[in-house]
Amino acid sequence: MWLRVVGLGGGLLALVSPATRGQAAVEARFRTERLAMVSAIEVYGVRDRLTLDALRRVPRHEFVPDEYRTDAYGDHPLPIGYGQTISQPYIVAYMTEMLRVAPGMKVLEVGTGSGYQAAVLASVGCDVYTVEIFQALAESAEARLQRLGYAGVRLRHADGHFGWPEAAPFDAVIVTAAAGYVPPALISQLKPGGRMVIPVGSVYGVQNLILVQKSAEGAVTTENLLPVRFVPMLSGLR
Amino acid sequence: MPARPVAVALVAAGTLVYEVLLVRLFAIAQFHHFAYMAIGVAMLGFGVSGSALALVGKPGAARNPARLAWSATLTPIALLLSPALATRIPLDATQLAVHPHQWLLVVLLYAVLALPFAGAALVTLLALALEAQRPGLTYGASFLGSGVGALLSIALLWLLPLPQALSFSALIAAFGAIALLRTDVPRAVPVFAWTALIAAAAVTARPISRLHVSPYKGLPQVEAFPGARRVAESWSPLGWVVAVDAPAFRFAPGLSLTYEGEFPPQTALFLDGELSGTVAGGQAMVPAFADWLPSSVAYALGTRERVAVIAAGGGLEVSNALGHGAGQVTAVELLPEVARLAAPPPPGDARVRWIVQDGRSFAARTTDRYDLVTIGPEGGPGNTIAGVRALSEDFLHTTDAYRAYLRLLRDGGVLAITRWLSVPPREPVRVVLAVADALRRDGHAPDQALVVAHSWATVTVLAKPNGFTASEVASIRAWTAQRQLDVDWYPGVTAPTAQFHRLDQPVLFLAARQSTAGEDSSRGFARRYPFDVAPRSDARPYPHHFLRPAALQVFLARGRGEWLPFSEWGVLALFATLAQSLVAAFAFLIVPALVAVPPHGRPGLLRLASYFGLIGFAYLAAELAIIQQLSLLLGHPVYAVGLVLAGLLVGSGLGSIWSDRQALKKPWLPLALLATVSALLGALLLHAVHAVQATPLPARAGAALAALAPLAFLMGLPFVTGLRRLAGTDGARIAWAWAANGFASVVAAPVAALIALEAGSQTLLLAAAGVYGVAALLLRSAHQPGPS
Repeated sequence: MWLRVVGLGGGLLALVSPATRGQAAVEARFRTERLAMVSAIEVYGVRDRLTLDALRRVPRHEFVPDEYRTDAYGDHPLPIGYGQTISQPYIVAYMTEMLRVAPGMKVLEVGTGSGYQAAVLASVGCDVYTVEIFQALAESAEARLQRLGYAGVRLRHADGHFGWPEAAPFDAVIVTAAAGYVPPALISQLKPGGRMVIPVGSVYGVQNLILVQKSAEGAVTTENLLPVRFVPMLSGLR
Repeated sequence: MPARPVAVALVAAGTLVYEVLLVRLFAIAQFHHFAYMAIGVAMLGFGVSGSALALVGKPGAARNPARLAWSATLTPIALLLSPALATRIPLDATQLAVHPHQWLLVVLLYAVLALPFAGAALVTLLALALEAQRPGLTYGASFLGSGVGALLSIALLWLLPLPQALSFSALIAAFGAIALLRTDVPRAVPVFAWTALIAAAAVTARPISRLHVSPYKGLPQVEAFPGARRVAESWSPLGWVVAVDAPAFRFAPGLSLTYEGEFPPQTALFLDGELSGTVAGGQAMVPAFADWLPSSVAYALGTRERVAVIAAGGGLEVSNALGHGAGQVTAVELLPEVARLAAPPPPGDARVRWIVQDGRSFAARTTDRYDLVTIGPEGGPGNTIAGVRALSEDFLHTTDAYRAYLRLLRDGGVLAITRWLSVPPREPVRVVLAVADALRRDGHAPDQALVVAHSWATVTVLAKPNGFTASEVASIRAWTAQRQLDVDWYPGVTAPTAQFHRLDQPVLFLAARQSTAGEDSSRGFARRYPFDVAPRSDARPYPHHFLRPAALQVFLARGRGEWLPFSEWGVLALFATLAQSLVAAFAFLIVPALVAVPPHGRPGLLRLASYFGLIGFAYLAAELAIIQQLSLLLGHPVYAVGLVLAGLLVGSGLGSIWSDRQALKKPWLPLALLATVSALLGALLLHAVHAVQATPLPARAGAALAALAPLAFLMGLPFVTGLRRLAGTDGARIAWAWAANGFASVVAAPVAALIALEAGSQTLLLAAAGVYGVAALLLRSAHQPGPS
């Protein structure tokens, strides 16, 4: 009897190849780092449970170039090519929290980039519309989101300055690529009672992060939040 | 002419051209503060050569002629290869904080950049050792060559693009190697020397390194926009100007959120790769959004017939003035290339007059008077927020500047200053305090003469010396309300009224209230504010420097200490340079000295190193202070650097050469005189600058040179007299003296910059005077070394 048990165990072990065991270890490490990242973000002041849970679920390392995967969970932006960056995790969390996202909300994102922010919003349960100006980035983000199970995210290769008029209005708008001004189209496509988070100011370099709120009556106010670095928001197809 | 001094002069000229142009190259390829740090540390190559020669000098002195020939031959090769190699190092300065391996690349960069400095330093040092009987001629040749190099570097930027101008430095140095062929040199040297010359000429004609702009800067980003194309490009000593047409590019600082109109095509304007503004398609096309910009709030008071736009840039505010009915607009812009791009082609617009001049000189010289003097937010707020301009002198935003602009106003005229709103607010707060201060000093009542308004991204400060009437205030409030802009302060306001764009605290209201309540109240507010927002004068013209220790607490309280590097990069670069310089000085000077010099020789070496270290510091401190003050006189730091460097170096060269002919019975006397002249300049120079500011540029340049001449001549004496007194003809001691002087100069740069930043240029000059005085005492107490 014990020989059969040993044989069965050995056979099972043989099925799990060294490569698979190695990959599992890598994934476990990424998970550990992801949880540590979220813990740090929580210490920094982000409290929204939906946002934090989404960040725990979304594998950020799948959204960065291979050469930066080991850095994926450091709290800093990383280059993703074409002069663009994936935002630092704290900023993703902060912006998501500022939007007060909830399941079922319709959210417009301008600047898909790698798709990480869109994945976080989708993980919260939002109905996500995301616009990316660079075709190569749009295509790679779309393929990545499909592969990782975020097929519900609607992605468009388009000019972000004009928003997504066919799907408007939106409960929230998030802009992850900096602009030198607030595009009027984004304000008009925001629902009364909606919130927009956008870095504004210098197109390249450090900007202010502002929260734009539209009241039930349609009045628009802003609140300055914190300095942040973003890539530019582009207008026009490439 | 003797071959060695000629070689020294030519190599020194080439190296100085390299140094000045390398700073420009790195400022474009990376960022200004990184350029400052990288090149500041690389100049340690000067000192390292001294340490190296001191360690091997005496035993191998017979080989010095050969070493000199090889150093002179290899320096131009290093000048050619160094920038080419440096631009190929895959350094990403933005990743320094998170990827430690980037620091290895930084060290490699330093080594690559330092090679030409080390080579050039060896040339001078070996020539000094070989011509120890007449060090004045050799050292004087080094000064003279450097002075010519300073002038050449400016001239080259008018004639050649930067990569080619940089290669030209190798060509100059290669002629130095050729000059040495008249002396006894190793057989292989002529081949290498002529090869270096030919290669330098070839590379100047066809550069091997191209200009690589950091992908994080504005220019490559906008050029990546769909449909973008470069429409203009020019080089000058004042900067690399590029204009790019891109349908996706829009520039509308602080545009009202209620604007629903169109955006016209805009041409992006870049200076050294950074966004500088926009060319608004010529004055014929006034953008529709102009009336929705916060900077237009002055037009709520009605048509402003005569308008002066200071630092007009691409002309957005010029268009704005025309769009609001101005009959005469004077656009003042320092960069001729920018003015050329902004002004429409002939026949132009008869209402607009473009003046290519710096704003302060214009304000000092013009007799015209205006209904509105306006300064818009140049470029974007990124650099303001990031503190990259913290180290840059800016005479356009001192209290003295604002007083000058107020004097340009007609009866009923208004001064309008718009700045980017950073978080926490810094620059706009300083502007509020400075404008109130300027009004008060001119005898006006700030509480009646000040209006402050802000949008989500900008703050506009209005000053009307006659005071705002009740109807004017009502007009401004109606205009801003329609555009959903907040008015923080106006005559009669008693509480914060911001409703559209909320800040953490009503800082702008508080700043205006305190600054208009009186001078003591204003100072108290500035003292209590977490950032240094006290108004700046011309003596301390750093209006973009805000960091103080309390500011660290503000950022740390937000829980994101990493933001600090984004907020005051300039000052952090200064401290980083100082720290690295001190470590390198310890590793490459102090440790080798302790190893090589026996204990009984160390007191003498300490005196030697102290003396040459002190004069190295004092020279650089005086140079920096004078450059700063003459920047105001000459209208741009580039001209000031060129003139001051050339004037000081040529004058010092003449002084050094003269010292060979004069046996000074009291060698400490020139130092005492230097201390006196430096102190006098510290007390009087800035006043003299203000007095002659209204004269034409050639007269100002002549006045500057006249003020510099006595100081420059005297500054050429301490090194040479010190060599005679303390080092004699001992090659090793000469090398240690050189090393100490070289390291002190490098450490002195950030220290002097910090003194200027915190205490002003007058204090810096007085500090230089004090150091020269200490050096005089050291020399006076020293005994001349015996024959070695």
